[in-house]
Amino acid sequence: MFLENIKEAFASILSNKMRSLLTMLGIIIGVSSVIIITTIGGSIQSTLTATLNSMGGNMISAYVQARYPETDEEWATWTYPDMRDEDYVSQEMIDGLMAAYPDEITGIAAQNYLGSGQIKDDTDADIYANVSINGITPEYLDYMKLKIRKGRNLTSEDNKRKKRVCVVADTMVKNYFGDRNPIGEQISVATEAGVFEFVIVGVYEYNPALFGRVDVTVAEKDRSTEMMIPLQTCFRLQGNDQSGYEYFNLMVAPLADVEKATADVLEYFNEIYARNDKFNIYAYNMASDMGMINTVINVITIAVSGIAAISLIVGGVGVMNIMLVSITERTREIGVRMALGAKRRIIRMQFVIEAIVLCLIGGIIGILIGIGIGALLGQVAGFVIQNMYADYANYIIMDIHPSVTAIGLSLFFSMLTGVFFGYYPANKASKMEVIDALRYE
Amino acid sequence: MSESVIRMENIVKRYYVGKPNELEILHGISLSVEEGEFLSIVGESGSGKSTLMNIIGVLDRQTEGDYYLEGQDVNSMTDEVRSAVRNRRIGFVFQNFNLLPRANALKNVMVPLMYGEEKVKDQKERAMEMLKMVGMDERAGHRPNELSGGQKQRVAIARAMINDPAIILADEPTGALDSKTGHLVMDLFHRLHEEQGKTIVLITHSQELASETQRIVTLLDGDIVNDKGGAR
Repeated sequence: MFLENIKEAFASILSNKMRSLLTMLGIIIGVSSVIIITTIGGSIQSTLTATLNSMGGNMISAYVQARYPETDEEWATWTYPDMRDEDYVSQEMIDGLMAAYPDEITGIAAQNYLGSGQIKDDTDADIYANVSINGITPEYLDYMKLKIRKGRNLTSEDNKRKKRVCVVADTMVKNYFGDRNPIGEQISVATEAGVFEFVIVGVYEYNPALFGRVDVTVAEKDRSTEMMIPLQTCFRLQGNDQSGYEYFNLMVAPLADVEKATADVLEYFNEIYARNDKFNIYAYNMASDMGMINTVINVITIAVSGIAAISLIVGGVGVMNIMLVSITERTREIGVRMALGAKRRIIRMQFVIEAIVLCLIGGIIGILIGIGIGALLGQVAGFVIQNMYADYANYIIMDIHPSVTAIGLSLFFSMLTGVFFGYYPANKASKMEVIDALRYE
Repeated sequence: MSESVIRMENIVKRYYVGKPNELEILHGISLSVEEGEFLSIVGESGSGKSTLMNIIGVLDRQTEGDYYLEGQDVNSMTDEVRSAVRNRRIGFVFQNFNLLPRANALKNVMVPLMYGEEKVKDQKERAMEMLKMVGMDERAGHRPNELSGGQKQRVAIARAMINDPAIILADEPTGALDSKTGHLVMDLFHRLHEEQGKTIVLITHSQELASETQRIVTLLDGDIVNDKGGAR
């Protein structure tokens, strides 16, 4: 019976193609606009989230910085103070922090700048590479999800044993080694802090998005790339075997509120450094930018959904109107069906189903159009974003996907529109007197 | 003796009851139809025969009087039960065929099965059987607009027969047909009556058509003025 009704509904809708299509227009426009905006919004959101996360979105960056003078007179004579051992952040402080906020801070991703300089080939002046050497915890390297293209990543074993090993960028390798295999090669870097020698154990794929903006004023060949060495090796080379941190990143638990965690970190260190009149700890995160973008997208989505709701109501009124016309046209048919034994509720169901089918077809057309246009505009949005951040273009992968929730809700509301606006005409049809309907001309 | 198929006592039908333009169409009709009878109700237009037919067919309610269909008091039935009675016990054949335009012949014949309470097995086979009986099985896939008037009426008769009703109620079944096809349709009714013993009530204005039936009930201005040939 139910299936018969659906078939009957399709037959009736198809027998008036143009009229049905025009009736569905309101629903098509409403649904497609929601799908378009959720597809674009969702794609931008997930792209930005993925990009910012790869740039440390769910990480808190913290560093030791001098307390700047507050008055102009002091500024005149002020110089940046040298850091004493007690000014560094100690491992005990970090352990204390993690113990205080176990749900927020899950670990330290520390790095320490050793120096920058050039690797030169003694036989050929044209062969060189500029690097900046950073000591880093292997956990941080893991977290950064650098793609290791050759060799291996740094390990905690390297760190513990303070090995003279390094991981270098593929762009540096291309500059200096050409097609030669760099793994196991010893390189010597002349920096402002001295000349250091390391053995290359791995090559990572260079991702400017991970290291901040690229200096495009310098020729590509001269651009400095990061060379990673174990943090403890770095400390030893700097002549101190202490394990204090100057710059470090705190990894935030996946579900924790990054803003709150940042505030907690600042509060924790403010208390410790309260007695230090020269230095303090500063911390920030990248989640706040993302939050603002998300808010904007959400506001737009809600606004468009509101417009879509109005469109659905207008579309629904159109459906009601056309159902009333259809019922008048088919009065005789209703009479015949009743004469042949169709009960009133069966007649009502038939027309409600017809209205639902009409609205659902409109909804499905709207969804398909929405997915199509959404994907197209998503591409455009991706293109715009990639142009705005041209340096990171290769690392921004536009992830265009229609929102499953939006599709589900659209179908649901289309159906609801059918039920709501189809009921009145259907009920009217079911209330007809069989004898009047049968004699209707 | 078994219960009459139709038993009507003092049926009165008035329109606009209680209003200044109150109109009495039937003035107290009493009529019994036994199982297996083939009778015609004849009358000029305005004689009330259509009104009577509507009451017999459970399409309309009488204002006064009693109507028993197979012993059941039709007037006391709810709307739902009346629908079921129309569906199971009455086979309608209309002057203008009243087939569903978007459904093919087979589907049209199956409509009463669709509205039946109980699930009937092998609906298609049953409908094909009916079409075969009226000689329309080869046109099962055709829509009404692809059929001639006579063919349409044969499909309508197949539809009327599908639930094996107590009576076939035919309202001017040849009215829209030329005399040749009209005769073919009438032959079909005779066959159903003779071979299957169907009770058939034919409503017509044509004396000629009525003369083909066993019993002729003549209606004039809302009264039965003649009832002949009733005794078999």
